[in-house]
Amino acid sequence: MATLALPGADNAPLSTPSDDGSGRRRKGAGGKNTTAGPVTYVLLTLTALVAVFPLYWTVVAGSHTNSEIAATPPPFLPDASLFTNFRLALEQAPIGKAILNSVLVSGAITVGTVFFCTLAGFAFAKLQFRGKGLLLSLVIGTMMVPTQLAVIPLFMMIAELQWVNQLQAVILPTLVSAFGVFFMRQYLVQSLPDELLEAGRVDGASTFRIFWSIVVPVARPAMAVLAMLTFLTAWNEFFWPIIALTTANPTVQVALAGLGSGYVPQQGVIMAGTLLGTLPVLVVFTILGKQIVGGIMQGAVKG
Amino acid sequence: MTIASDAPREALIAAPPPVTAAAPRRRRTRLTRNRWGYAYVAPFFLVFGAFSLYPFLYTAWISLHKTSLSNINGGTWVGLENYRNLLQSEFFWNAARNTLTIGVLSTVPQLCMALGLAHLLNYKLRGRTFFRTVMLMPYATSIAAATLVFAQLFGRDYGLINTALEAVGLDRIDWEAGTLSSQVAIASIVTWRWTGYNALIYLAAMQSIPGELYEAAEIDGASKWQQFVHVTIPSLRPTILFTVVVSTIGAVQLFGEPLLFAGNGTTSGGSSGQYQTLGLLMYQQGWSNFHIGQAATTAWAMFMIILLVVGAYAVIGRLRARGNR
Amino acid sequence: MATVTFDHATRVYPKADRPAVDALQLDIADGEFLVLVGPSGCGKSTSLRMLAGLEEIDEGKILIGGRDVSEAQPKERDIAMVFQNYALYPHMSVAENMAFALKLAGVGKEERRRRVEDAARILDLGDYLDRRPKALSGGQRQRVAMGRAIVREPQVFLMDEPLSNLDAKLRVQTRTQIASLQRRLGVTTVYVTHDQVEAMTMGDRVAVLKDGVLQQCDTPGTLYERPANAFVAGFIGSPAMNLVTGPVVDGGVRLGGAVLPVPRAQLAAASASSGTVTVGFRPEAVELVGPGDGVPVTVGVVEQLGADAYLYTKLAGGTTEDVLHPSDVVVRTGPRSTPTEGQTLHLRVREGGLHVFDPATQRRVD
Repeated sequence: MATLALPGADNAPLSTPSDDGSGRRRKGAGGKNTTAGPVTYVLLTLTALVAVFPLYWTVVAGSHTNSEIAATPPPFLPDASLFTNFRLALEQAPIGKAILNSVLVSGAITVGTVFFCTLAGFAFAKLQFRGKGLLLSLVIGTMMVPTQLAVIPLFMMIAELQWVNQLQAVILPTLVSAFGVFFMRQYLVQSLPDELLEAGRVDGASTFRIFWSIVVPVARPAMAVLAMLTFLTAWNEFFWPIIALTTANPTVQVALAGLGSGYVPQQGVIMAGTLLGTLPVLVVFTILGKQIVGGIMQGAVKG
Repeated sequence: MTIASDAPREALIAAPPPVTAAAPRRRRTRLTRNRWGYAYVAPFFLVFGAFSLYPFLYTAWISLHKTSLSNINGGTWVGLENYRNLLQSEFFWNAARNTLTIGVLSTVPQLCMALGLAHLLNYKLRGRTFFRTVMLMPYATSIAAATLVFAQLFGRDYGLINTALEAVGLDRIDWEAGTLSSQVAIASIVTWRWTGYNALIYLAAMQSIPGELYEAAEIDGASKWQQFVHVTIPSLRPTILFTVVVSTIGAVQLFGEPLLFAGNGTTSGGSSGQYQTLGLLMYQQGWSNFHIGQAATTAWAMFMIILLVVGAYAVIGRLRARGNR
Repeated sequence: MATVTFDHATRVYPKADRPAVDALQLDIADGEFLVLVGPSGCGKSTSLRMLAGLEEIDEGKILIGGRDVSEAQPKERDIAMVFQNYALYPHMSVAENMAFALKLAGVGKEERRRRVEDAARILDLGDYLDRRPKALSGGQRQRVAMGRAIVREPQVFLMDEPLSNLDAKLRVQTRTQIASLQRRLGVTTVYVTHDQVEAMTMGDRVAVLKDGVLQQCDTPGTLYERPANAFVAGFIGSPAMNLVTGPVVDGGVRLGGAVLPVPRAQLAAASASSGTVTVGFRPEAVELVGPGDGVPVTVGVVEQLGADAYLYTKLAGGTTEDVLHPSDVVVRTGPRSTPTEGQTLHLRVREGGLHVFDPATQRRVD
């Protein structure tokens, strides 16, 4: 599985990491860097509209009844009935509880993933131990294994432990990520000079002290990126939660999946509920979007 | 004298005396070997072992049994019968075919568009942070939310797309009912969610191409298009291969979109299974029909398909690399 | 303060076919400033890292203050190290960088501050204590790295090319500062550099390494005056010593068309195995004589340095078996009345300026 060609693996051409994490890179590195013409702006604006329209349509459709939406021409503006639909959605599906659960689950997964992946990434990047190469290829190999392959025994396991419908059932299996380990390793290989660790050893620091006082501060930008990506992924995780949880104690995605299954599909209510469940990530994304963009681009070059 | 002799003369000295190899060499590995390495990777491998590796292997074991969800500890050994049944099952071949067509419909246009989009984003832009962030919004939207919205847009009676079709004088389409139409609709959800993400990955790779390459190409008289074909694309090849692999793995596992597309969470993938994928089939076998052994077999089949496809890519990549040398 | 002893210390990297450091034998006196010098890959940094405890010792041992530390962790060795790229902790202020080791050693807060401030005063860093390394110039970073070593008050300072990231002018200044600081503190110091000028100006003694093998360890004066072998002769001094190998004839060695006189005893000892002899003479040990006397050379390039001029010449007439610089001889002259390109000159080596080496063993013959 080591044959999987990953960009940013040690042999690929890399640019120096920009540690501001904002995706802003050194001037002149951007290939052509020709100033964009009007055609470019038109095309980009159209694409941006396509990217945003479905989200906007959620707001519009969430404000109207089935027949209003189907009218010709259809409505293109939201109105106050959005709030009525919010209320109906909250009545039909436990969205409030789902959001709280999702915050808990995603938060726990994020903290665990960032901590454990930084630990393991540091060991893979800088510590010498027997079997390191083999273990690392195992980590990379696991990125190819589909979730489907694990869910049956996992379900048996949580059934045995009486964890069905319990949040730990969706937290624990996702507490680490192979991508995270690889991502942190790539970052530390490039950004943490060996001399810094040697200086720490000469100064008398134990391995854990070196990790805590030297590695973690250096790794902080990458940890922030990993945290954002992990939170987003955990929030949007669908397959396993829908098996492990029910609408009695759902995450947002499980609640949304239940929303559509009413016997009279009220499009407006479904859309309003979808909007409620998506709103938290959209808010986070509006605030941290620039950093997330930078993180993904950094990860693309490094990981 | 302030002239530092950085390059001392090459020595004409004779070879150094041979090492006295007779003395036994001490084995000291304490200083640079670090047993802590195991402790640091242990949490990962503990969680991974308990919740991934063990389940993978156990899934293989289950796939050799006839067993059901109501009887999870029992089950009778049937050897490869589940695999034989799977290969003879029309449901499996239907799902495999659908997975393939939806996979191609979603991956190929998606990556081509991402490449073009990355090219556009690579221009010197006003408000480029805005554009990049907006392109990534679909990625931040969950599968469930995206599918519900698209199900609305593609809806037969109330859908905006049909309203639009009618407005320009075309017939309404029952997107969900048709094989091709439903698959196109599902592929469009995947494409919508992932195009921006892949565009950013391509953009990052494009920005790490040294500007000198373009300047050299320009001096050699290459047009913008030729520069794109002869400089950008070859430099992006490892990244493209990477995104193709990742998209393929994702496409084989496609599940949430077809599950929620009809809006009611049925696992059959349409009334005639017209958009049932392997991921959905596996869920149906296990959680609707309670045939856990069959579901495990399907899961392993999916893994095998991924291995085959990724292996094929790796071979192609290697052959190309060798051809270029 | 302590002595340092390398006792046949050997390091073989896994999969390497020869040792990176081969049975290094070196005694460093208490308070001495010893410089390890050699071309890249000669094992000088590896030797230093073995002393620091950052590199295994495969054979032999290393003693600090008479105590065998071969298997001790770096922190158990009571040493401080200055790294080539300084290795300052990027997220800590200057003061925190310097105090980190003391903090780990459990030194009290007051004591830490006192020692950091003392070191800052010595190094003129008082105004920068709250800054991050990023906000410092190269020279200031270098001084912080020094300060981090000083506050430890260790038994031995280890310095791994600490000046190589500075520009030429600053390097010369700092060189003097480090040397005088070391003399003031009196701490045993092992200093690694590839720059022989740095080695000669700073070290009490200089150890020259090549291919992991110690070539010679002596005072700068002795290295210069009496190099133990042809490598040291060529490595120390700038421009380098002229080394020419030629066939032995009666009373000397044939260089080009003439014979350079060599004392009979040296000639016999040096040429015993090969019938040839390597002679070395520094550019400044050459005098120009009239035609008919001395070795004739043709002037190539003339380098005017103001105080001196260097003539890059070729041996005129005949052939030599010199493999090194086929018949290149560098001559130092006064800046005025320099000859022009193509002119033929006649050289003689000043009294006591001739070094003789056995071409087979490369060793010095007296």
